[in-house]
Amino acid sequence: MFEQYHVGNVFDEMFIEPGKPRRHYAPIFQRLSDMDIDAFERRRRMADVLFRNQGITFTVYSDKRGVEKIFPFDLVPRIIPADEWELLERGLTQRITALNLFCQDIYHEQRILREKIIDPYLIYAAKSFRREMIGVHVPKNVYIHICGTDLVRGIDGKYYVLEDNGRTPSGVSYVLENRAVMKRVFPAVFNQYRVRAIEDYPYNLLHTMRYVAPVHAIDPTCVILTPGIYNSAYFEHTFLARQMGVDLVEGQDLVVENGFVYMRTTAGLRRVDVIYRRLDDDFLDPLCFRQDSVLGVAGLMNAYRVGNVALVNAVGTGVADDKAIYPFVPDMIRFYLSQEPILENVPTYICAREEDRKYVLENLDKLVVKSTNESGGYGMLMGHQATESQREEFREKILKEPRDFIAQPVVELSQHPTFCDGTNVISGDGSRCFEGRRVDLRPYILYGEKVIVMPGGLTRVALRRGSLVVNSSQGGGSKDTWVLEDEEQS
Amino acid sequence: MTLIVDPSQYRPSDTGEARPMLSRDADSMFWMGRYVERAEHVARLLRVHLMLLTDVGDLTPVLEHQMWLTILSSMRAGKEPEGSDPVSVRISRYMTFDPSNPSSIVSCIARARENARAIRESISSEMWECLNGIYLWITSEEAGARFEESPDEFYAHIMNSSMLFQGLTDQTLAHDQRWYFTQIAKYLERIDVTARVIETRFDVLSKMGAQLDQPIRNIHLMGVLRSCCSLESYRRQHLADLEGRRIAEYLILQKDYPRSIRFCVEQLHRATAGVRVSNGQHVPSAPERIFGRLEAQLEYASIDEILAEGLNEYLTRIEQAANEGSAALQKSYFLY
Repeated sequence: MFEQYHVGNVFDEMFIEPGKPRRHYAPIFQRLSDMDIDAFERRRRMADVLFRNQGITFTVYSDKRGVEKIFPFDLVPRIIPADEWELLERGLTQRITALNLFCQDIYHEQRILREKIIDPYLIYAAKSFRREMIGVHVPKNVYIHICGTDLVRGIDGKYYVLEDNGRTPSGVSYVLENRAVMKRVFPAVFNQYRVRAIEDYPYNLLHTMRYVAPVHAIDPTCVILTPGIYNSAYFEHTFLARQMGVDLVEGQDLVVENGFVYMRTTAGLRRVDVIYRRLDDDFLDPLCFRQDSVLGVAGLMNAYRVGNVALVNAVGTGVADDKAIYPFVPDMIRFYLSQEPILENVPTYICAREEDRKYVLENLDKLVVKSTNESGGYGMLMGHQATESQREEFREKILKEPRDFIAQPVVELSQHPTFCDGTNVISGDGSRCFEGRRVDLRPYILYGEKVIVMPGGLTRVALRRGSLVVNSSQGGGSKDTWVLEDEEQS
Repeated sequence: MTLIVDPSQYRPSDTGEARPMLSRDADSMFWMGRYVERAEHVARLLRVHLMLLTDVGDLTPVLEHQMWLTILSSMRAGKEPEGSDPVSVRISRYMTFDPSNPSSIVSCIARARENARAIRESISSEMWECLNGIYLWITSEEAGARFEESPDEFYAHIMNSSMLFQGLTDQTLAHDQRWYFTQIAKYLERIDVTARVIETRFDVLSKMGAQLDQPIRNIHLMGVLRSCCSLESYRRQHLADLEGRRIAEYLILQKDYPRSIRFCVEQLHRATAGVRVSNGQHVPSAPERIFGRLEAQLEYASIDEILAEGLNEYLTRIEQAANEGSAALQKSYFLY
């Protein structure tokens, strides 16, 4: 199955050179090479059926045919050895700590602005900056309780942080479900490795939520707030609610009275203490943010400000994952922690800066331009693949609203063998075989009593040949991610 | 092995008190239960009807047409669908696959699933996978092919799936108020359909009256019992003696048979009381009072009095009371 495999000139997760796997991939390489292609295909179909029957789906907005889709799943796991993971874990812990200190600072003393590390203009012009949060005390001073950080590997094999998702990162349910499905369809392969368990994530998440509960709540009622069943991540909301055993509420289920939040139950109103909200700041409270929001709860911000309810993540964390603030994260680490960053950023040009903008406009054909206000792979220009008219369109947009754009050099993401079944994933010659497809990695970090980095994460795959866009909304798939236990310790 | 006990981890929920339930969840739970039950009834009515037509042989076109229309009126499915196909094809397709017909099996399953999806975290994975499985199957091409091949098997499959779902509901859900709401839904729907089946079928029978000779009449009477899934248990009670009066008595007043209206009302009374108790209230709730009164009424009713009053009039009264109970339930627990 690997006879035709082409390693090319990017970093390959499995192979050092054709036919020669890296040490931690050797057992699975052997197993797959011995396997009959039809047997592999059968297992793949089995996985598809499991996903479909369980309704593990996401919603694509532009797709008119059917709104629910399975997230394409590739059976070959991505494997991360213990020493590599140890570095990532330290780097991610350092990063979430700095990001939390930054949020606390920005909404209180603003030392980082006064000491001219970050230009105040970039903060105040950020759409996600919430002036309503200035001076507001949040429980235990934690802003970003849940973070999903996107990592990529360059040609040199080094991990870079592409972005921090500090608002409502999604995808963790797929991580857990991918693992469950993998164990069912490939038990033998799974047992060949000592893979670190990720199944306690819901438990840790619940503890993270309870940690920030108001002091008056002896047995805090925690809930997840969802925009409803038509949201693209609805499956995940129900999944987490089920795993934690908490109620999944919609805005209409909640009501604020005398500064407390209650939910409407069959036995009357019941107080709610901690809300993991999967709703953007904008929609949370029509009295405070968007008045046309019917998804939120009127008066929620008041209850939050007086400390009668905790929100996870806090309001206003978007300022920390704004794409124009991202370039300053290494500076934040130095500023707040007096440490050198363990994980590097991808070099970034801020179009709001004159000299950067000039460079960007001159090199549009070499850069990736991203809108600071969009996510999910929308509002992006892949300069080297774009047409002249697309580049022209972005040139005008940048000149009009420079604050809204950043640019980065194209990162040649690492590739990983992925099964081409001829339908979802099509190989170069259309045959069924393994080919390299670009991947990224999104680990999930919880910040509660202590920082917990889930040993694993979502490996997203760009299913189209040569494509660098891994987002599920743009036709990406996913893989199970195995973090191995330290051999010396075991 | 010793369990680690940490007093600081003690929570009020440890006393075993049930957690209250979101009103919206209760609402969805209720409709999920109702639609599954409804899909089963539609499947059974169609299956029995097809079988009946085979048994009675050639009917006059007028009579056959009339009989098909009883299916629509039993399910309050509106007007007869238009088209050039024979009436049997038109109506069975309309009641099975037409998504624009809210009473079709496909619509019922789709709505049940939609409600289940809205409370995915409140029901068990087994329930969800079962319901999602039926939905995926009935919307697949395979289901259409199975239907063409053998409608009988097709409908049997739908009925069995519904039974499986109910079994899973009983065995994987705690019997707290979540479960009670599914029970209330099921029995309300069953009363509704059973009452209408009795009304429409006896109506047709009495209109045809003298036209029917004994064997054909018996087949029709068996059809009534089969439509309510009650033929075999009726025989065990009354032997194969088919008589309209006894059949009506059996379907309305029979004690301890899960398809009789009386049994359904008893269950409604029990379940509404269950909801009230699990919410820690001591005074009977509004729906509970309505179903309790109805239960007493059925317990002391006699079939002769019912027939003297008029079967349709009596059943209409029962349906009205059930609707009032249902409205009281919604007002007490769902509206917010």
